[in-house]
Amino acid sequence: MTSRNFFTASLAAAVVAATATMAMAQSYPTKPITMIVPWPAGGSTDVAMRAIAEAASKHLGQPIVTDNKAGASGTLGPATMAATAKPDGYTIAQMPITVMRLPLMQKVSWDAEKSFSYIVHLTGYTFGITTKADGPFKKWQDVVDFAKANPGKVTYATPGSGTSLHIGMEQIADAAGIKLTQVPFKGGAETGAAVLGGHTTLQADSTGWKPLVEAGQLRLLAIWTANRSKVWPDVPTLKELGYPFVFDSPFGIAGPKGMDPKIVQILHDAFKKAIDDPAVIATLEKYDMVPRYMNTKDYEQAVRDVIKQETAALTKLGLLKKD
Amino acid sequence: MEILSALGHGFAVALQPVNLMACFFGVFIGTLVGVLPGIGPVSAMALLLPVTLSGSPEAGIIMMAGIYYGSMYGGSTTSILVNIPGEAASVVTCLDGHQMAKNGRAGPALGIAAIGSFAAGTFAIIALMLVAPMLARFAIAFGPPEYFSLMVLGLTVLAFLTHGSMAKALLMACVGVTLGLVGIDQITAAPRLTFDRLELLDGVGLIPVVMGLFGVAEILANIERSIRREVVSSRIGSLWPTAQDWAYSKWAILRGTVLGFFLGVLPGGGAVISSFASYALERKLSKRPEMFGKGAIEGVAGPEAANNSAAGGAFIPLLTLGIPPNVVMALLLGAFIIHGIQPGPLLITQNPGIFWGIVASMYIGNIMLLILNFPLIGMWVQVLKVPYKLLFPLILMFCVVGVFSSGSAVFDVFVMTVFGLLGYLMRKFGYEPAPLVLAFVLGPMVENNLRKSLILSQGDFSIFIERPISLACLLMAAAMLIVPLLPALRAKREAVALDQE
Repeated sequence: MTSRNFFTASLAAAVVAATATMAMAQSYPTKPITMIVPWPAGGSTDVAMRAIAEAASKHLGQPIVTDNKAGASGTLGPATMAATAKPDGYTIAQMPITVMRLPLMQKVSWDAEKSFSYIVHLTGYTFGITTKADGPFKKWQDVVDFAKANPGKVTYATPGSGTSLHIGMEQIADAAGIKLTQVPFKGGAETGAAVLGGHTTLQADSTGWKPLVEAGQLRLLAIWTANRSKVWPDVPTLKELGYPFVFDSPFGIAGPKGMDPKIVQILHDAFKKAIDDPAVIATLEKYDMVPRYMNTKDYEQAVRDVIKQETAALTKLGLLKKD
Repeated sequence: MEILSALGHGFAVALQPVNLMACFFGVFIGTLVGVLPGIGPVSAMALLLPVTLSGSPEAGIIMMAGIYYGSMYGGSTTSILVNIPGEAASVVTCLDGHQMAKNGRAGPALGIAAIGSFAAGTFAIIALMLVAPMLARFAIAFGPPEYFSLMVLGLTVLAFLTHGSMAKALLMACVGVTLGLVGIDQITAAPRLTFDRLELLDGVGLIPVVMGLFGVAEILANIERSIRREVVSSRIGSLWPTAQDWAYSKWAILRGTVLGFFLGVLPGGGAVISSFASYALERKLSKRPEMFGKGAIEGVAGPEAANNSAAGGAFIPLLTLGIPPNVVMALLLGAFIIHGIQPGPLLITQNPGIFWGIVASMYIGNIMLLILNFPLIGMWVQVLKVPYKLLFPLILMFCVVGVFSSGSAVFDVFVMTVFGLLGYLMRKFGYEPAPLVLAFVLGPMVENNLRKSLILSQGDFSIFIERPISLACLLMAAAMLIVPLLPALRAKREAVALDQE
């Protein structure tokens, strides 16, 4: 092949490819879309994502098939997608915050900024701090005062080291100028039993504490969402307590890198409508998830911000990967 | 009264058609795998775990529990008629049960096994129902130091009662503990032994390990040895034991029930050990020890009662503390977690429907089992005639499908294959898989609770002796380690150990 022929051929190929993508983008979607949910079936995130996908599929005109690929703190699914799936819009994944956090803590196969095409930001969880209802702490300030007098004596149970709860709690302690001691457990039932049995002073967890707070056995001291919760209107947010934080382990969806912006737009529109769907809002409320919409541009910026914040927090905790 | 209304609520759950079906399916599969040698309750439960995903947690757990106690019934049938234990807890039933069958008394042997199982099973449910809520209230007092000391006690009991080579058991336990280290460290969030593989970040899966060591390995081992199957072909005759049989059996059943229950509750105990212990006890107390091994009916009644009672008792530590006392309960713990429920002190108050539903379903399941194993015994005898060349490839296929579907990961199938081969070699060289699996499950719990305790006490080891429950557990463990060293008791223990071999 002469160089001219080669040039023409590649040009032709490029044109064909471009028209193909354009044609594809116009007719997209023509077949069912696979959505990877990196959590076990039946958990709160799985149920919420299924409800969102169900609503989005009505707008897309094609079913969305949920593929539960759990593992590695919710990163196995997105990592598998980044490594194997085509960026044709037929494979997307829920993106937990660990996709951004884990690369800072250890060697992984993906780059949170570069390996994905972020589509739309959807929602986050409700976290809060509880203590025993018959204990000495009536409000958050009591904990701060006690901790100032007794550094390191206040212990808190989390569902694991390096979770948003652990990192958030340390940032709060840092801002309050106190020292707290983390005791990591496995999951919400264990942290609940630990604080209820008086083994730890506090519990920092997602709303697994709900029944115990409602039964009057635990007292909710602070909530980590941007606004006060409808369920517990008397409980102050972190911002109201004077700490400039919102920790809600926010998540959205993304596909493999290099997706056609038009396809991203179609998916974005469908999922945006989905989180306004009353049925979806009801499901999210059941799990105390607050809708937090962000468009593609803002979501990309948010990812960069999260990486920056996490790097700072993890450095302070000594959890940053060493290399 | 409170318990009665809670139990009523439980029956309302258990009697829902779908849960009733789940219960029947569970005990039916349980009896089937109990009858069939080569596949036990552990493999069957691991196999069916993915099936429970689609339904409610109640239905799933009711079914899984049914498989476990159902297999305790079925196992005796094969032991008595074929002289091959259908599952591990029925090994001792072979000794006298098959002798009875040879003497033309298969009927009463099968009958007393079913009746003993039913009586013990019912006792265990009542005890579970009364003890668990009480213990759960008390279990809130269990913090990391108490958990640590309780598990030390449990592991000591296991070592105390273990039969066979101690060195081999310890070696297997070391392998198990090492396997348990794989994954993200719970305390520091640092990955250990993961070799930068994402698949290993959550650790090695329990289901593929168990399926490999128990399911695949068992099949491989069975293919090799040509199993002599002398199904007693003469007529089984009346199942009802004679008055003489009753006289021999009734106290054996009672003793087996109580002994089995306590051994079942203890971490490290379980159905297998309790049946051995009951056999040894009956032989020691018997007025006709020379009949043992020649068709003594109390040698069937006691162990069969003990293993059923132990199966019921084993639910207590799981449902109140979240500690699985044996491999089967470890799998059940997995089933709970898949459904987003963490068993522990708060289970009974936060999920009363599940706890009372399981209890009520066990009453129903035991009655179903009595019917399945008494009037319908002939059906299971037919099952024993299915040729193994059909059965084994089928079981192997189910293992692969089951492991894959539990996590949709091909990696898990590789893990199962590796452990299948390992398990086969272990069997050949006389290494038990149970210490490996228990150490694999309990090892990380012991480690994490030790480290959490020390975080709470800011590095001070005296936390373990300052807390009364923890101190009591450690003292009991110490006593158990010292007692065998005393010369007078040493001889006795060796006699028991000898009986078990």
